[in-house]
Amino acid sequence: MGKDRIPDWLNSSLWSTTPCADDRLHRDSSSSANTSSSAVPDLNAQPPAPVLPPAAASSPQSTVTSPKSEFRDGVDKNSNDTSNDNDQNASSSGVSPDDISRQAQLLTELSKKVVNLRELRRIASQGIPDGAGIRSTVWKLLLGYLPPDRVQWSSELAKKRSEYKQFKQELLMNPTEITRKLEKSSVHENDHSKSESSGLLSRSQVTHGEHPLSLGESSIWNQFFQDSEIIEQIDRDVRRTHPDMHFFSGDSQLAKSNRDALKDILIVFAKLNPGIRYVQGMNEILAPLFYVFRNDPDEEMAAAAEADSFFCFVELLSGFRDHFCKQLDNSNVGIRATITRLSQFLKEHDEELWRHLEITTKVNPQFYAFRWITLLLTQEFNFADSLHIWDTLLSDPEGPLETLLRVCCAMLILVRRRLLAGDFTSNLKLLQNYPPSNISHLLYVANKLRSQAAS
Amino acid sequence: MLVPGKIQHIICTGNLCIKEVQDYLKTLCPDLHITRGEYDEETRYPETKTLTIGQFKLGLCHGHQVIPWGDLDSLAMLQRQLDVDILVTGHTHQFTAYKHEGGVVINPGSATGAYSSITYDVNPSFVLMDIDGLRVVVYVYELIDGEVKVDKIDFKKTTATTHSAH
Repeated sequence: MGKDRIPDWLNSSLWSTTPCADDRLHRDSSSSANTSSSAVPDLNAQPPAPVLPPAAASSPQSTVTSPKSEFRDGVDKNSNDTSNDNDQNASSSGVSPDDISRQAQLLTELSKKVVNLRELRRIASQGIPDGAGIRSTVWKLLLGYLPPDRVQWSSELAKKRSEYKQFKQELLMNPTEITRKLEKSSVHENDHSKSESSGLLSRSQVTHGEHPLSLGESSIWNQFFQDSEIIEQIDRDVRRTHPDMHFFSGDSQLAKSNRDALKDILIVFAKLNPGIRYVQGMNEILAPLFYVFRNDPDEEMAAAAEADSFFCFVELLSGFRDHFCKQLDNSNVGIRATITRLSQFLKEHDEELWRHLEITTKVNPQFYAFRWITLLLTQEFNFADSLHIWDTLLSDPEGPLETLLRVCCAMLILVRRRLLAGDFTSNLKLLQNYPPSNISHLLYVANKLRSQAAS
Repeated sequence: MLVPGKIQHIICTGNLCIKEVQDYLKTLCPDLHITRGEYDEETRYPETKTLTIGQFKLGLCHGHQVIPWGDLDSLAMLQRQLDVDILVTGHTHQFTAYKHEGGVVINPGSATGAYSSITYDVNPSFVLMDIDGLRVVVYVYELIDGEVKVDKIDFKKTTATTHSAH
């Protein structure tokens, strides 16, 4: 049985879709004020003074044209640089005590010898402030990349980074280099360039039948050509990642090196996981991770962003792998099953909306939820907002998938008035271009859905 | 075995004779270089051609112009004339690979195994060069008694070329 009436808390006027500026502004100004004034115990050796990573060339959201872009740009700028020149937020006043305390809490937690992950999750799920590289470290902890015990951090990091370096060396070599290596090990290389100055060139045996036109399954050349298709696909997708952000797109040296890093990570992943290879969309899941790690004010961390992103990407994807596997589409772990679960979820919490959406207007959830779920909402909101959503996704003890479903359901519920009034076309249009919203709002609603006992 | 997408350039010494063969080669790889052999119907192929791939300068000539046919010294003269590191010639329909002070002369043999002006005993063969920096690995593909046999030859260049347009 489902609920026929809309629950009271849902009917309150609070749940309007127009984002309220105040909450946002306060948050940003507070965190920026905090980093500049107090001597915050920083987990990094560097002071929280503005250390502009070169990536902060410009604000990522130059394309947002709505009148709310003013404060939104401020948000993005803040997430870019840890400095406090929040001129766009000059109009803000007052500082939310919540945010200061949250930042302080996080920093205290992070500076402990052994980080209490449950506590960290609790604080992080309310949102991670944008400055001082907190997010980078917190995400690494949440994804299990860094162990809770601080003492082990340096050794773990060194180990993982050298592992990645090895992967790169092994997997990104082209066949010419590989054959040369094999030769060196098996045959003694006679230096005939100096000895015989003229005469017939000696022919030698081809080792293991390895030649460029080889069609053998295990031939490195054959694999190389097969892989080159995937590599081309990865290259194309990486170029298209976040074209509005200077961090990723454009011809600057920085953007190119970032794209190369993304590419290398995805190629290594594809080669290490022949079962799933590369699927379009993985670049979108990788991008926020790499962005956050690369913009860590700690230089050592930022330099190793590629290796760190690789492992965190693997970890994050592990919960969602099945969504990318075509064969599993119709199974009970594949993407269709997850979309059905979302549908069920909606039915439990808001049957009227569910009925209107799926039965009356026949908007099949696959039309909108597919992208929401597979890409973890990176495409539905601007970059800074999706980082905030990811804070919640990663920190929730229920796991990212469950949280994602709740957030998606909350997204639907927040626009229920428009959906209920719309028909197939307008509803589809709305859901495929989800309007910019107040993210804290959204996450609050999503959180509420958890405590509602589903009947 | 010869499928499109694996080869970046094709260097052909000539005597394709008809356009269909050129079209076939074009499907394997769009970058095709051909010089004129004595039986080519297409008159617009050049007599000799030079190109630069990576660090190597390659020269191409059919070889019927160099007399005595297949003579190393005469070919070496042509190589010095063209100022190339690797000279690719044909006409004899026999695979050979020589090295001398000026560079390397490679004769890939006949890809079809057609009778040559000199002999009837011809094994079809062709050559793939893997150019990587200052090193070339030459893979020789021969069809002997119905089977494809592959050998390889290593060749290193001592000095780098200054890049020149060809």
